[in-house]
Amino acid sequence: MTNQIPLEDGYMIIPEDPEGPCRLLGSYSKAADKTYFPIRKRCPITEKEVETVELSTEGELYSWSFVFMPRMGSMKLAAGGGFGVGQIDLPEGVRIQSVIDGEQKDFKIGMKMRLAANPLVTDDDGTEYCGFKFVPVKED
Amino acid sequence: MNRDVYVIGVGMHPFSKEYHPLRDMYYTAGVDALKDAGLDFRDIGSLYNGYIGGTMMEGTGYAKDLGLTGVPIVHVENASATGSSAFREAVWSVSGGASDVAMAMGFDDMLRMSVARKKPAPGAKKGIPSFENTLLPAGFFAMWAVRRMHEMGTTVETYAKIAAKNWNHARHNPMAQRRADHEITVEEVLAAPMVAHPHTAMMACASGGGAACAIVATEEWAKKHANGRPMVKVLASQLQSEVYTEGHIFMGAVVGPSYSTERTAKMAYEEAGIGPEDLSLVQVHDAFPIEELMYYELLGICGEGEGDRLVHDGDTAIGGKIPFSTDGGLIARGHPGGPTGIAQVWDAVRQLRGDQGKFQVEGAQNALVHMMGAGSVCAVHILQKV
Repeated sequence: MTNQIPLEDGYMIIPEDPEGPCRLLGSYSKAADKTYFPIRKRCPITEKEVETVELSTEGELYSWSFVFMPRMGSMKLAAGGGFGVGQIDLPEGVRIQSVIDGEQKDFKIGMKMRLAANPLVTDDDGTEYCGFKFVPVKED
Repeated sequence: MNRDVYVIGVGMHPFSKEYHPLRDMYYTAGVDALKDAGLDFRDIGSLYNGYIGGTMMEGTGYAKDLGLTGVPIVHVENASATGSSAFREAVWSVSGGASDVAMAMGFDDMLRMSVARKKPAPGAKKGIPSFENTLLPAGFFAMWAVRRMHEMGTTVETYAKIAAKNWNHARHNPMAQRRADHEITVEEVLAAPMVAHPHTAMMACASGGGAACAIVATEEWAKKHANGRPMVKVLASQLQSEVYTEGHIFMGAVVGPSYSTERTAKMAYEEAGIGPEDLSLVQVHDAFPIEELMYYELLGICGEGEGDRLVHDGDTAIGGKIPFSTDGGLIARGHPGGPTGIAQVWDAVRQLRGDQGKFQVEGAQNALVHMMGAGSVCAVHILQKV
């Protein structure tokens, strides 16, 4: 089984169960009733304490682009020449910037997107260091 | 401001993708500004060096070519707004009484910028990228552009028209990096390779090297060194970092919410005692044309959603109602980093003096210069011919 771990601590959780969804970690401020991503030291509005929360795994595409440059962690253009990037609004009122899966023709503002682990670097022992990405949700 | 401040000298080394040693470009811009002001380096009471990519001590070392006078020197860095921030420090030094004459210098070479390699944190492995570097500026601004197309019906042709305008403004600017030998058309801009949908390479800011310098002083020094030219007064100097907005992006944000510009400009107008209707020309952080389009509205030049009409009516071209990016902007004059904000001041001052020849804005009276710096900050200065 592939061992996947986040690039850094404090941004996301990848469960050992490959079927379990990964989750982004944010901060909730009770004083401001606001949620932020990534984790804040304290509420940037009220300067009060925040608690760490797991964020929703689905949201809506607010905007997108298709970038013809090397992906993060690479100096080479991807096969096909580029990759998608998007801003995804989560139900908590958080906007996430992320790599998005798919072709340019697939992207539409308002479409549903789901969080997934995004393996970027593989270690000699097979460990995959992962960022995150969002994948279009196929509507039935 | 406690004391009135004037820009009494400006100088530049041309922006270029060709290699020039930073030390040479620094010296050229510095001597050019001193000559323009009619000053010796010993007259400078404080010096602010703005650069992003240099190494420790670099700016202080280059200043030795201008002289060894004991002048206090400080390194300023604020991403793309580095030059604007160095200029602001010089303005505030004179305004606050710390010095009567201050120099702001910006220099960089974006193509050869050294990036500091941090030692990995304990337990971290080398070669593993950070979450914070997920997105490139090209992708960030392209998402602004796509959202604008969705909300306002803006077309790709509008973006191309803005870029073509700025390329054509730069044709007669000897300091510009991109000086086309013919009138650039919308079709050429659209036919260039795609960088990030909907922006092509001819819509992206020009990366290269360069240096720019501005000298500011008290009214007494300004009068003494006017040399028969109009004086240029700094009416406003504002710099703001982010405040929370709905949908605030903390990770990977390149220049924060667009409202930063609206907020900072409002403060600058209040300080200056003039409004957007009084401006003769504007320089903005036009790294991509979507930015210039949005700044028409965020700076109060027109109402929300009316920017596209300005482009199609030619209002923001030289000869139009309110010319933007008169020296070519980041798109064509270029964006080396540190010097960019001071290059805006170079053009604004020379426009107000009536010295810009084939790219002169006739009757220029008031100029606004605006820069964004990743992180993010927004800087706005307003200059007036007196």
